[in-house]
Amino acid sequence: MASQPDKNDVVRVDFAFKRELAEKVEGDLASYCYQCGACVGDCPATTYSDGAFNPREIMLMVLYGLGDELIREGSILWDCTNCYTCHERCPQQVKPVEVIISMKNMLSDRGFAPTSAEKVIKTFEETGRTVPPNPAIDKQRAKFGLPPLPPVPMEEISKLFEPANDEGSPE
Amino acid sequence: MKKFAFFPGCLIPARHPAMEFAIRATLEKLEIEIVDLEGASCCPDPIYFKSKDKLSWLAVAARNLTLAEDLGLDIFTNCSGCTATLSETYHLLQDEELRDQVNQRLARVDREYRGTSRIRHIATLVRDEVGYEKVQESVVRPLEGLKVAIHYGCHLLKPSRIMQVDNPDNPEVMEKLVEALGASPVRHRNWYLCCGKACQDESIPNQMMHDLLETVNDEEADILGMICPTCFGQFDHGQMKIAKLFEEDFSTPPVYYFQLLAFAQGVPYENLGFERQRFKPKALQRFEEVAAG
Repeated sequence: MASQPDKNDVVRVDFAFKRELAEKVEGDLASYCYQCGACVGDCPATTYSDGAFNPREIMLMVLYGLGDELIREGSILWDCTNCYTCHERCPQQVKPVEVIISMKNMLSDRGFAPTSAEKVIKTFEETGRTVPPNPAIDKQRAKFGLPPLPPVPMEEISKLFEPANDEGSPE
Repeated sequence: MKKFAFFPGCLIPARHPAMEFAIRATLEKLEIEIVDLEGASCCPDPIYFKSKDKLSWLAVAARNLTLAEDLGLDIFTNCSGCTATLSETYHLLQDEELRDQVNQRLARVDREYRGTSRIRHIATLVRDEVGYEKVQESVVRPLEGLKVAIHYGCHLLKPSRIMQVDNPDNPEVMEKLVEALGASPVRHRNWYLCCGKACQDESIPNQMMHDLLETVNDEEADILGMICPTCFGQFDHGQMKIAKLFEEDFSTPPVYYFQLLAFAQGVPYENLGFERQRFKPKALQRFEEVAAG
């Protein structure tokens, strides 16, 4: 990543960023990262971005607390392919992809999710599916002897979205 | 008949009903009884909704799992994304603190997650509960000489500690399932690559899909054998985009494994919805001619 800190600079750790990340499910795992780089070799996003996306460097930024580099509009984190190879390779069980997703939660909290992601999320929140039902689909299903798509009890499911009072601050 | 709760997810029932038809038709022949889950929602998807709020994602996934727990059944999935969400939820909720948090939310709808239903991907269900030999016995027209390039995709295999499907660096489940049909599985050089669907920067998946299709083409495979509906979309609709962008025509039709199985079990080509694909697996038609002749 182009903005990796110069080794002579004084690193100013953004503890507020680290605390907020640690509140997310598995957001605190980067603490175990010893920068071995096992996550990089088989990362398809690294290979196909000429190294612009680099999970080891992203974990280093988390360790340094350089939240501003990652938590901003157009964040490079959205270039992760979610292939889970880094999770597979990491000898420290850092699960870099999970730390990245936890940071995506922070991006979403701030309204920095890409429009395409927001569209899918909205469809799910409204219909309980990522592909909404419509009469054309049911007609196609009937051709295969399949019943129409069953309804999804959204009034029940939407009750699960709100955090509990003692859940910390997931929002 | 062994009974399992069926978690169909979104993509297959709402975009590829031919795949759902094939699953129901083939599992019946393999003596698996399907029990539909009433009130199931999206798993929810492990890319978008998970990136919004992991805790809500876990709570909705746990609710889906309670539907199978209520029936006292293990659950099987037909989509690698659903498998990832549900398996990961099962894994993460072994942590008591997290389970309590999720159960606090579930209590609002009078539900409790207990962790009593296992999650099985349909490929492992067939491998472990049916067996390759029985699959082979169910085949009425062996697909001899059909070269099938296997595309595992990512979420079926990784993270292997959680998915517990196969060795992610040298898997064999799809090869064996394809061999059971009499066809020849082909492992091309880029077999392990991701379809790139989740990546925002389009140039990454475009180049990746191009490279993958190129090595499939090098092996002269007849079709691309798919097990994930998301990857399927990338390599069907997406393959048109790649052909245009790189001005190369690979024309490698993707086929979802259970449609291929249904065909080998004797379901006519025209009943399997292949006409809706951008790239049609015409290589299959020669087996129909043999059967007719």
